[in-house]
Amino acid sequence: MATEVQSLLAIDIGATNTKVNLFDIVGGRYRFISYGEAPSTAGAPLFDIGEGIWEAIAALERKSHRKIISEEGALIAPSTPENTGVDLVVATMSAGKPLKVLAVGLQQDVSLQAAEQLAATTYARVVDTISLNDRRSESERINLIAQTRPEVILMAGGTNDGASRSLLNLIEVVGLASYLQDESHKPHVLYIGNEELHSEVKSSLSRITDLHLAPNILPLVGSKTLYPAQKEYFSIFKEVRKKQSSGISQLLSWTNGQFASSATAISRVVRFLSKKYEPDKGVLGVDLGSQSTVFSAAFDGEEALRVFPYLGMGTGSPTVLERSSLGKITRWLPTAIPESRVEDYLHQKYLYPASVPTEPGELALEHALARQVLRIAVKEGLKFLPDGARQTQPDLLPLVEPIIGSGKVLTEAPSRAHSTLILLDGLQPTGVTTLALDQNGLLPALGAVSPHSPLLAVQVIESSTFLNLGTVIAPVGYARPGTPILRMQIQREDGRRSTREIKYGSLMVLPTHQGEKVTLHLRPLHGFDVGMGGPGRSGRVSAVGGALGVIIDARGRPLQFSSDPERNQKRNQQWLKILQKFE
Amino acid sequence: MTALPKNILPLTNIRRERVLPILGHVVARRLQKVTPTNVIVEANLKPEFILLDVAEGLNVSPRRADELLQRQEGDELAQGDVIAGPVGLFQRVIRAPFPGVIRIAGEGKILFEKASQAYELQAGLEGTVTSIIPERGAVIETRGVLIQGVWGNQKVTYGVMNPLSQLLDREVQQDQIDISHRGSIVAGGFCTDPEVLESAQAAPIKGLILGSMSSSLIPTARKMAYPIVVIDGFGKRPMNRAAAKLLTTNQERNVSLNAQRYDPYQGNYPEITITLPVSEGVGFPPEAEDFTAGQDVYVTSGPAAGQTGSIQRVLGEKYTFPSGIKAWGAEVSLKSGNTLVIPLANMRVLNQ
Repeated sequence: MATEVQSLLAIDIGATNTKVNLFDIVGGRYRFISYGEAPSTAGAPLFDIGEGIWEAIAALERKSHRKIISEEGALIAPSTPENTGVDLVVATMSAGKPLKVLAVGLQQDVSLQAAEQLAATTYARVVDTISLNDRRSESERINLIAQTRPEVILMAGGTNDGASRSLLNLIEVVGLASYLQDESHKPHVLYIGNEELHSEVKSSLSRITDLHLAPNILPLVGSKTLYPAQKEYFSIFKEVRKKQSSGISQLLSWTNGQFASSATAISRVVRFLSKKYEPDKGVLGVDLGSQSTVFSAAFDGEEALRVFPYLGMGTGSPTVLERSSLGKITRWLPTAIPESRVEDYLHQKYLYPASVPTEPGELALEHALARQVLRIAVKEGLKFLPDGARQTQPDLLPLVEPIIGSGKVLTEAPSRAHSTLILLDGLQPTGVTTLALDQNGLLPALGAVSPHSPLLAVQVIESSTFLNLGTVIAPVGYARPGTPILRMQIQREDGRRSTREIKYGSLMVLPTHQGEKVTLHLRPLHGFDVGMGGPGRSGRVSAVGGALGVIIDARGRPLQFSSDPERNQKRNQQWLKILQKFE
Repeated sequence: MTALPKNILPLTNIRRERVLPILGHVVARRLQKVTPTNVIVEANLKPEFILLDVAEGLNVSPRRADELLQRQEGDELAQGDVIAGPVGLFQRVIRAPFPGVIRIAGEGKILFEKASQAYELQAGLEGTVTSIIPERGAVIETRGVLIQGVWGNQKVTYGVMNPLSQLLDREVQQDQIDISHRGSIVAGGFCTDPEVLESAQAAPIKGLILGSMSSSLIPTARKMAYPIVVIDGFGKRPMNRAAAKLLTTNQERNVSLNAQRYDPYQGNYPEITITLPVSEGVGFPPEAEDFTAGQDVYVTSGPAAGQTGSIQRVLGEKYTFPSGIKAWGAEVSLKSGNTLVIPLANMRVLNQ
């Protein structure tokens, strides 16, 4: 099937916008052709994803001069020699209210933590947790379930030859509480614990809950396997979404019953790239959405996917204030904006998530918010890194190559310098990496396509779908500002050589043409670490110039701030100016 | 591009489905005339249960405990009523720890639900119950004024409209609300001072309608006993002219204030309705349409937020705004006299 696909339509239903992307074969290779976009209609007042999809396809048809929908209103599939229609449709979705999940496990720091980790792999909110350590009585646990009314209960615990009795007690509690819910609120229970108890679990829960069984996420002591459970968990996500918004059934008829959560699709691409690129480094993908943020890191195929519901640039913006102080947002501003205005802006953004910043002050505010959202995502995301991740310091981003940034706040920023600085400030990469921008918002589409047409995914990724913003060199260590911390020898393709001394606290750009290859010999001083195998270790790097050249970010990790807001504002202005000079 | 509406309508058909998220007991009847505070449906949103181990309490096997049960599932009990027993030398019994209902009984255990005060869902508007949704709620209809808000402190009331000024364009001052406003629904421009909300409570007023409010007042506003509805959003902006005009021209009329929370997923907005004595022939407001020239619009965000105007023309290509952002926009002639290019994403079609 995969080899027969010529043209493909990828539909991504976001919280704010619905986007359709068209891919086809051009010159013997798959290429991204065009896109169409429209406001999402999954929620009020239409509650029908179809409206947004039709409008987005209409926009695509106008742009690409290609008919996708027939006069009768049906999808034209397969494609015709007259260049109408498509061969395959895939879909991803992040729209909708995050699932209400209750995580149940035996031990708080083992099975419960794993259940919570699984919960965070899609657009879901853990409303509460139950474990043997929580000291609640059985009655209190029943009350908790009855009052929170979770849509999904994730039940983990016990290795396959391990604990059973305590787990059966918890199963009884879940069963009793589920029995009390009315038919429309019966939870989906995903059992991901000791597999030896499958028959007991079935007999206790199958008649009173919507029971799903998946392989144990902790089959043996010290081993964790989330992936098969993730698949089952996502099928629950799909069922819940089908009930919430009409139009999904029609979409499924177009996609042969297949559709993925946008986060799952993004993580597929990240995982794939982690196998393809430098094996000793990981790959990081971040998607800054309106309602949620996705943090997906993978290290040689081992992934850490974390979706942060209610943390984003639109409906997710006031929640940033619950997770960090207002000062943590305003520290990123280039000019003084009263805190009351910042707070009002974030609350207004919740009301109108699709609104566009028209004034420079509003733009600065949105970009400050984006940085802080990324800071929160990094801090939380680091907690679940796989063993293969190499970090220069435990609280810093591990060594990754590349970093792919996605989301409208990045792709629709007024300049590439803006997008680059948001990523640099928000993520604070370490060592040597490449910043790439998912300029056409194709990450979810490529992830959704990859199981059907891996070749398409590979060829589109290899074309210039991700814009190289620049190679980043970020030494890690501490010194007084102005202290030389790195000597860098630069050798260009034409043979020219030069040397630069980098001082602590600086941000500078080595100008290169887009795609120009340079060889850099990095010699860190004073025990600084550039990811070459440890503090003070030198090495040679082949870098490819991006939209901004090669960026040397010696501002320190983590970035330090002054207690004087004016100094921070000036510094933020300077940093943007430095990058803008080389655009 | 699909344009969502902002409803500020002097006369429209209003139909609202008032339902609970769980099963409950519907107390409203079809064709019943209701006021906003009338209860439509009630249910226990926070049920409390206790699991009683009868077998352990009576020191018998689960099977024997089941035989000793004197009550069955569904029985309503008063505190102290015997559930199971007596057994043994001391005629041991298990009693109801509080008033409630036996929900599950068997295998030596009883799951007992504590009787508690039910949550009551109010009508939220004055009107007629046109249909009952079994075990969930009812549909209420009326005709009259509809003003859609954006934020509410989750309370409902009904009272006489009492605007603080004609334009509702100024900040509400503490000394503006006095005994003359007692028992009425007060409308004002904007509010930045928590003391204003506190003194309105002391008056006491029945409800408050604001154009905008500082977001820092949200915690105080939530604590107030009276409903507060914000129409335009957060900040220091006067109330939009269309809403201000409707509120001031309906001074002295009875107003329904439903300060329900804005729910972007369900599409529930806080709202103000005024039932008017009109007969048939009034339509429902459109739910969504496309932006076109000549349309009245409401600006949601940016420097002109809260203003109304009409579209002169929808631009054929993306426009670069002072922020540097490129976006689809339209040239809008604002009621304030200015003509500006405003992003389509920052506007709603004004149903007025």
